[in-house]
Amino acid sequence: MTTQRMHIGMCLGTSCIASGAIEVRDALLRELAKNGLKDKVDIVQTGCNGFCANGPIMVVYPGGFFYQKLCAADMAELTQEHLLKGRPVERLMFRHPKTHQVIPLFKDIPFFARQELRVLANKGHIAAERIEEYIGREGYEGAARALTEMSPEAIIAEVEKAGLRGRGGAGFPTAIKWKLCRAAAGDRKFILCNADEGDPGAFMDRSVLESDPHAVIEGMIIAAKAIGAREGWVYCRAEYPLALERLRTAIAQCHEYGLLGERILGTDFCLDIRVAEGSGAFVCGEETALMRSIEGKRGEPRPRPPFPADRGLWDRPSVLNNVETFANVPLILRHGADWFRSVGTRTNPGTKIFALTGKVNNIGLVEVPMGMSLGEIVFDIGGGIPNGKQFKAAQIGGPSGGCIPLSHLDIPVDYESLTEIGAIMGSGGLIVMDEDSCMVDMARFFLEFTQEESCGKCPPCRIGTKRMLEIVTRICEGQGEEGDIERLIELGETIKDTALCGLGQTAPNPVLSTIRHFRHEYEAHIRDKRCPAGVCTALVRAPCQNACPAGVDVPGYVSLIGEKRYAEALALHRNRNPLPGVCSRVCFHPCEGKCRRHTLDEAVSVRGLKRFMADQEVVTQLPEIRESAANAARKVAIVGAGPAGLACAYFLARLGYRPDVFEAESQPGGMLVQAIPAYRLPREVLAREVGMIERLGVDIRTGRRLGRDFSLESLRADGYQAVFLGLGCCQGTRLGIPGEDGPGVCEAIDFLRGFNLEGAREVGRSVAVIGGGNAAVDAARTALRLGAKEVTVLYRRSQDQMPAFAEEVEAASEEGVVFEMLVAPLEILRDGDELRGVKCQRMQLGGFDRSGRKRPVAVEGSQFEIAVDQVIAAIGQQLAGADCVSELRRSRRDFLLADPMTGQTSAPWIFAGGDACTGPASVPEAVAGGERAAVGIDLHLSGKAHAFWREDAQPDTLFDPEADPVAYPRAACRCIPADRRQGNFKEVEGVMSEAEALREAKRCLRCDYRE
Amino acid sequence: MSDDKKITSVEKLRELKSRVKREISLREDGYQACVTVHMGTCGIASGAPEVLDAVLDELEFSGRTDIRVTTSGCIGVCSREPVMTVELLDEKKVLYGDLDPDKARQVFRDHVLEGKVVPRYVVTLGDGA
Amino acid sequence: MCADAAIRCQEGEVDEAELLRRLDEVVRDYRGKPGALIPVLQIAQGILGYLPVEALKRISLGLQVPYSEVAGVVGFYSYFSTIPRGKHVIRVCLGTACYVRGGKDVLEAIKHELEIDVGGTTEDRVFSLEVARCFGACGLAPAVMVDKTVHKRVRPMKIRQLLAPYYEMESMQEERHVG
Repeated sequence: MTTQRMHIGMCLGTSCIASGAIEVRDALLRELAKNGLKDKVDIVQTGCNGFCANGPIMVVYPGGFFYQKLCAADMAELTQEHLLKGRPVERLMFRHPKTHQVIPLFKDIPFFARQELRVLANKGHIAAERIEEYIGREGYEGAARALTEMSPEAIIAEVEKAGLRGRGGAGFPTAIKWKLCRAAAGDRKFILCNADEGDPGAFMDRSVLESDPHAVIEGMIIAAKAIGAREGWVYCRAEYPLALERLRTAIAQCHEYGLLGERILGTDFCLDIRVAEGSGAFVCGEETALMRSIEGKRGEPRPRPPFPADRGLWDRPSVLNNVETFANVPLILRHGADWFRSVGTRTNPGTKIFALTGKVNNIGLVEVPMGMSLGEIVFDIGGGIPNGKQFKAAQIGGPSGGCIPLSHLDIPVDYESLTEIGAIMGSGGLIVMDEDSCMVDMARFFLEFTQEESCGKCPPCRIGTKRMLEIVTRICEGQGEEGDIERLIELGETIKDTALCGLGQTAPNPVLSTIRHFRHEYEAHIRDKRCPAGVCTALVRAPCQNACPAGVDVPGYVSLIGEKRYAEALALHRNRNPLPGVCSRVCFHPCEGKCRRHTLDEAVSVRGLKRFMADQEVVTQLPEIRESAANAARKVAIVGAGPAGLACAYFLARLGYRPDVFEAESQPGGMLVQAIPAYRLPREVLAREVGMIERLGVDIRTGRRLGRDFSLESLRADGYQAVFLGLGCCQGTRLGIPGEDGPGVCEAIDFLRGFNLEGAREVGRSVAVIGGGNAAVDAARTALRLGAKEVTVLYRRSQDQMPAFAEEVEAASEEGVVFEMLVAPLEILRDGDELRGVKCQRMQLGGFDRSGRKRPVAVEGSQFEIAVDQVIAAIGQQLAGADCVSELRRSRRDFLLADPMTGQTSAPWIFAGGDACTGPASVPEAVAGGERAAVGIDLHLSGKAHAFWREDAQPDTLFDPEADPVAYPRAACRCIPADRRQGNFKEVEGVMSEAEALREAKRCLRCDYRE
Repeated sequence: MSDDKKITSVEKLRELKSRVKREISLREDGYQACVTVHMGTCGIASGAPEVLDAVLDELEFSGRTDIRVTTSGCIGVCSREPVMTVELLDEKKVLYGDLDPDKARQVFRDHVLEGKVVPRYVVTLGDGA
Repeated sequence: MCADAAIRCQEGEVDEAELLRRLDEVVRDYRGKPGALIPVLQIAQGILGYLPVEALKRISLGLQVPYSEVAGVVGFYSYFSTIPRGKHVIRVCLGTACYVRGGKDVLEAIKHELEIDVGGTTEDRVFSLEVARCFGACGLAPAVMVDKTVHKRVRPMKIRQLLAPYYEMESMQEERHVG
């Protein structure tokens, strides 16, 4: 055999073949022949490489250049450039998903670099169908040692010392299984391999069988010697035709080479392995069912004991291990137990393979040390979530497993830690879900699965899961009832305790774990008839409307704009939200985040359209009002004229009430007037919309502060029958560092309020703003406009972790605000009284915290000082006027506790909403809180709900569902240039022209359309 | 079934192993030597592709499998193009400049194969290379 | 059209007797081997395309397994079918990854295109439609397997294109029959 100049590892696994790997290989062969390279370049047909989403894949040696997403047409260039001239082809290489940098070498790609390849070390490296190559990589050395040097007891002792645990799911110590079977009476025993990988979302067994089948056979030989078996079976599911083929080829080769059959390696030991092909029954992954299926019977589980170690296949002592477990065994024998234990944790030594799929950038197989944190797997190896979406949960363990929420990203992935939070390791399917996945729908999906796959032998599984599925389906369809959650938990616990086999006992897990971590989503479905993720079709009219906290009919007003019916469009908006002008400037547009047009090109510019629409109105129109003498006679007080209080007043007025609004400051608007600068929200826009609400009969009394001018008791004494508390959340949080007290330090909201209400505020020459939220950015941009020469924002986390809206951060940078990330203040430095700077410390990102973000950790010896003469603290806000409402119950985060549906607090006549309940949040959320409380107050006072605006009507605009979507791109947002924003508070953002707006409106795909 | 393939002892297993190991050594990470031809715009204009062809030709002729030849972008010494870096295992990098195919062949034979630096064409020695 | 169908039908009948004889050979090979029933059923379905009562009877007699047990096993496993199936079996994956990435919409589109339900066979007996749980091709979700070929990232809009080659294959074979 001649030595070739180059080897090309060509992945021919199931996934790459589906992506066209065969065509690519044939094209490459043609090119090699054409260029006379046939004898110089060897194509090594490897098994599954594990980076399946990027197939077809090839690795060019020497060097290990990684090429991906290949097609046959690329082969001419690749041959000419790389194979012939040695110039690697960048175009076909992997690019970093965030930096877009080209990463040429296999080993440098983060997806592979962070892995610990042991079981998968041969994948993509050897030709799966050539036993010689396996041998060339130390293959069958472990078996040689076991057969020629070791007694069965010594083999078991070595595996026991290594601490190998079953990789199929439960993590039972492998050596104990073997020991029991070894000790069992009888001279005919079986060694069995479970390759019936049925968990949806797990494919590591397939990959191992396709890329390295001999590793499994070698493991079985060693195990057979340990327990004294001379016959073996591999039970593999029929859905894996390629794995079956490779396995059969490998077994035939072993017979040919004397590694199976009689007198293996010249010893007395003999072993035969046969393959049983599954016939499509998930339950056959359960060990007793699997054995019955090999026997040729219905694959129904039976109760244990007797355990298979005593009475297994054909009632003989048997050991069943999973593919990955067997593939670990040769490594232990080859390198020893200490080597095996050198990675992983004390109780969970070694590595585990995960099938990383779902909403994650790098999809594929990953082998990592046991105990690596979930966050590292999903973000560092998986490359995070595509399209900038938020991670919601990871589902692990398939239909028997559970969900791990954001707050547990730091969990070490090992058997015990996972069980503790209601998930299981299972076979290692790890499915990432983002904000667009509905957890109730996922629970329904898994229940449907177990329901269909239940073998029907025992009633708890057969009937119990069916009952659970009925309830969950009802919830998804908007027919959920109070008590459903409790019923699900009760049923689930019963099934867990009484089902016959593992499948049944674990079937309720997906439901129980989603209830445990995502109960609020179930409640939203049941009580609110809302699917927050926008998945459950019966509850979602259009994803944009579903995403709007205030529930505005987005496709309705967008399509009305498209027909120049601006007044009707505005009326439709005001039906659910009285502040279209305000929201068109300051809303963070969650509607656009869910817009389906995004899958085509870009989301519809909903906020831009809203701005255009709001600007078209000359005389503010009033909404529909239902006059009621009875309601007008009922006195309702509203405390706080922020967006929540204004919305509550607005909706009460539409029901015929005449509420009185008490505002502490000199102008109504709350944060809208106190904190949001005029360059984002011109004051006349707010004034018009407040004026509209006043014209409905709402009396706004400014300068009336709760606790100073009146109290809850005095309101009651004055005859008010209900009170709405829209107190807001404008109390600053102290920095808690030395030097904070004294001149030059102020709080962001105080700073903004001072300027916005009083028209003037002293500003330093160079200003440090501490914090990363919207208040910090508003304060920084305001300071700059007031004449500060340098404004630096110090934030202890990284830029992508900032809670401030990205658009605001970008605008601030354009204007000259400097952002210093990963910096924490330690002390305010003073010369005497005078502020001279801030002592800071650099931070770096460590493990994941409860918020799902990487925790900032101080870098030793990285302290430094920056010279400033003013410090603005913006590190969080607390409930305002807390002392005056001390009798009301508070939430865990110390905000007011109120019923999420009605806003009712622990005192029945007092209602609350907005930031006071949620903490600092957005305008539409506050509007929604005010609306719900208005409905709640009405229900409390009149005994009935009358919220007529909540009924959606199909707009009568024209729409042709058969027509192709219009092709033009999203209308760009126009802003005045940064150099013209200096020293003034003119509105930064412009409005689109009528022609642009009409085109933009037509881009809407009309997801609300129903035939 | 041909009996000659049968591995009847551990010794025979090891024989087969060492034979195959040589064949697949190309795929291992370890190298005795690494030659990098710098192919920036200026390098290509001054004849780097021809230098690369010469090196690959020499490599093939040598029959060695533990030498890696790669290319990289411009290294910033445009006045001395074509340039090439030679790095032997556990030794310092050497940057050669003003090369042509013949000079490159000489560097390959003397330095890469024999381990003797060719001072005449050296631009820098050590990590600056 | 009618003539074509008649020819195929006739051939089918001739074939079936021959195929059953081939099945008998298989049964003879497996007689007495432990655990023979399931592999024999798998082979039988491979030969006949489905498992008619006649085949089950022969297997029961040949392997000396009670007919009730044979029928019980056939009923238990989803791969076995006692009704004739199409020449090509379409399996739409509804595993977790495929589900999360829109496998359900693909299934709906295929149902719509072929005008059959899950478990059904088209009138021309070209396609049968089934639902599967994970081929382990999660990186390519949503995936559809036609016979033994996996098709990746299938989009509901592209179903017709996906199935076209199979129709072509059929019409070519038909021409050969007629010719």
